[in-house]
Amino acid sequence: MRIQIQIFLGTLFLVATGAILIFVGLREDERMAEFERYQKAQQIEVGAELFEINCRGCHGLRGEGIPGLAPPLNDRHFFTERLAEVGWQGSLEDYIIATVSTGRQVSTRPDKYPGAGKPAMPTWSDRFGGPLRDDQIRSIAAFIMNWEATALGEVALETLPTPETEAADPITRGRAAFETYGCVGCHTIEGISSGAVGPNLTHIASHAGERKAGMTAEAYIRESILDPAAYLVEGYDDLMPKTFADTIPADELEDLIAFLLAQE
Amino acid sequence: MFGLNFQRLRQQAREAFERRVRIITAGLSIAELRALLRGDPPTEKPNPRYRVHVTSFLFHIRPKFYLRGSTIFTHTFRLGFFTMFFFVLELITGLILMIYYTPSPAEAYNSILNLMSNVPYGKLLRDLHRLGAEGMVIFTALHMLRTYLTGSYKKERSFTWLTGVVLLLITLFLSFSGYLLPWDQLAYWAVTIGTSMAEAAPLFGKELNLLLRGAPDIGAGGLLRFYLLHVILLPLLAIWFISIHYYKVSREHGISLPAKFEEDESLPKEAVKRAKQRVDYLPDLFTHELFLTSLGLFILVVLTAFFYSAPLEHIANPQQTPLDTKAPWYFWWLQGMLKLGDKTLMGIILPTLIFGLLFAVPYLDRNPYRMAYRRPVAIALGVLATLTIVVLSYMGLPQYKIETPAATRIIQDLAPEEGLGELRAIPFEQLQPGVYEVNATEPENLCPEMDFGCPALEAVFAEFSERVNEAVEAGKLPEAQAVLVIEAWQADLVKVTPRILWLDPESGTRKSYERHIFLHRDHNRNE
Ligand code: HEC
Ligand code: HEC
Ligand code: HEM
Repeated sequence: MRIQIQIFLGTLFLVATGAILIFVGLREDERMAEFERYQKAQQIEVGAELFEINCRGCHGLRGEGIPGLAPPLNDRHFFTERLAEVGWQGSLEDYIIATVSTGRQVSTRPDKYPGAGKPAMPTWSDRFGGPLRDDQIRSIAAFIMNWEATALGEVALETLPTPETEAADPITRGRAAFETYGCVGCHTIEGISSGAVGPNLTHIASHAGERKAGMTAEAYIRESILDPAAYLVEGYDDLMPKTFADTIPADELEDLIAFLLAQE
Repeated sequence: MFGLNFQRLRQQAREAFERRVRIITAGLSIAELRALLRGDPPTEKPNPRYRVHVTSFLFHIRPKFYLRGSTIFTHTFRLGFFTMFFFVLELITGLILMIYYTPSPAEAYNSILNLMSNVPYGKLLRDLHRLGAEGMVIFTALHMLRTYLTGSYKKERSFTWLTGVVLLLITLFLSFSGYLLPWDQLAYWAVTIGTSMAEAAPLFGKELNLLLRGAPDIGAGGLLRFYLLHVILLPLLAIWFISIHYYKVSREHGISLPAKFEEDESLPKEAVKRAKQRVDYLPDLFTHELFLTSLGLFILVVLTAFFYSAPLEHIANPQQTPLDTKAPWYFWWLQGMLKLGDKTLMGIILPTLIFGLLFAVPYLDRNPYRMAYRRPVAIALGVLATLTIVVLSYMGLPQYKIETPAATRIIQDLAPEEGLGELRAIPFEQLQPGVYEVNATEPENLCPEMDFGCPALEAVFAEFSERVNEAVEAGKLPEAQAVLVIEAWQADLVKVTPRILWLDPESGTRKSYERHIFLHRDHNRNE
């Protein structure tokens, strides 16, 4: 029989193509599952970034909460008891998405976590005038949900073997402390933070010396941190946490004060 | 009396069957089909294979024959054919993709994710469609170059060339309009750059931009417009013009003969005569086209199944301009031109002139000869234009003449905002929490506790150190201090912070640049 070579080769290519398609098809389930994991991972990564930009000011850098401001989102209580406490019927992830989307008008725990007043937490979804898209909020929720393993003690995180290399100067270190201890959540310093619960500290060094007669700027700032109730700035309530005297180590306190004294 | 005449029945059945076959095949008998497959001469007279071209629409727009000389592979390289192949592939894969796609900013990106994670063969389809689109652009351009170099646009083929240039434009716009649809950062910003060019058009630039985008910025309106352009208007235009183009080639003037058969007097008469013999469409050209089709399919499926993945970046974010924005590669030349001058001149007026020139090629070039050495100016201009496009494209790259501050560049190169980059490619297990300071931490053996160490992390840290030290030596980062901090952030999640501090000579203050990169265990996908 005479066979046309092009028909022969063409048929061969078609059969080979079919074979590859079958081969690909056999792996499709696995591939799709892998992509789903990848997509979830990416969601968590994106959520982590968004959390750092939008939420850490109130809920802390690692979601540990800031006393006197906003609750922790990374502890056992949040993952095991919180839903019952507020009477939420759905899943925790849905609770997070709903709460974050609409914000919270009044705190459910005004004595412990009053937030920024009214609203305690602003709305975040752009459907309600907030800055975030719904996919971004879903990403943040995926990120928060990923705290479950550590919250329940199933996984312990490795802490850094050495403290992060110290920045050269006290002001840079002080700036870091200003973020670490959650001052950013309540105070605005232009270019660094935007909080409206406490006074704007952009030029604190210029008027700290005039707050209390006979008190230097440095002494006043030290007192404001260690004993906030000693002097209330006009127009503000006594909302600043009283715990800093216990929580901020002495050297970091000096750095923090040096940093604030540089805000002229 | 009542006995059945089986012989007659069989005869009748065969005839009835034969008649049906002839209706479907537009006149070919079974014996003829068999002869076709085997490449035998026609079984009847007059040649039934020509009648097909009269009675069947599809064959009506195919040639009855080409001259043997014009079917020589190195004359056409089948570039036009493969362009058509890609177009049909795009139609078919595109139609299937449409089932899963929703043209709205809220859903578009999700529908791609869904396609990738929930639809069997979804990724393959998308890869095929994407690769096919790129292939079509490449082959259209090469096909044009071929017809230009062989001087096949002259005389009766002027109009064919003209429809060709229209097809080139349609192809570019088809590809570009499809670019936006996944609604990722890549798409969004490439199209934002592209449409902002429309704004530079004199007189009606603002209106044109508005018409394209549907609003000052690309949003729901813009996406829907691009979608409709991509799936309806442009394909219709393409089908229309391809039909004209094909009709001209296959029914009016055929493919040109290689110039030597027409102009080279020294060629033996025999060779010329042979070149002018007919090669019938049925079966020879048809068989050949089927062969090319299955070859093309095979190559594409191999490429997409094993080597190629269509890019998909993060979802479009109008608030965040990526550091390195890039137009699709086939518009890099335009981006390059824009770096040379004014937006209106370089982005609108010159490109219009260039395409105007392309349209006019057959009418400007009055030289009747087609052999290369008889049209040195035209060939030189063609080569020059091709080189210019290549150089301009190079200049269009973001790396060219756009100064990014040294610290930003170093960190962006290590961990680009989009895509993998070396840092993200480190296997998760090797991302050992720690503070790694350039010129302070011993660069070897970063993870002594790990059995096999962390070579990938070490390599990235070495690269980071090297880049920083280079920049210090070049005076770009005086008194630099650089660290790579890796912290365990959550279960299966680490935070990596590359940070560079340096003394800014202008202000005399210390500046810093850092990026926070979160990496999850599952983020490494087999690309
Ligand atoms: C202005 C400070 C503030 C900011 C910024 C803020 N929150 Fe809140 N958040 C609060 C306060 C106050 C509450 C209410 C606590 C309560 O009702 O007891 C709260 C409650 C929540 C809750 C419910 C917790 C619970 O236990 O009921 C979640 C989840 C939450 N926030 C997530 C976020 C996310 C995600 C972001 C960033 C997009 C964010 N928050 C930004 C102050 C803030
Ligand atoms: C829960 C919100 C909150 C947090 C967190 C917070 N503050 Fe305040 N802070 C306030 C309020 C409210 C005032 C004004 C009332 C007062 O003087 O106590 C204030 C006042 C101050 C003042 C005096 C400002 C002036 O203009 O006189 C200083 C200084 C200050 N805070 C520093 C800090 C520092 C440093 C931190 C972080 C360690 C911090 N605050 C954290 C709410 C907060
Ligand atoms: C969608 C795009 C296009 C398709 C599908 C297409 C298809 C074809 C095909 C199949 C041929 C037969 C010869 C061959 O296979 O090379 C052909 C010939 C031709 N095409 Fe195209 N073409 C396209 C674009 C263009 C462009 C951009 C140009 C130039 C501006 C062009 C100019 C020509 C000319 C001049 C011929 C005649 C060549 C000859 O006679 O040797 N075409 N085209």
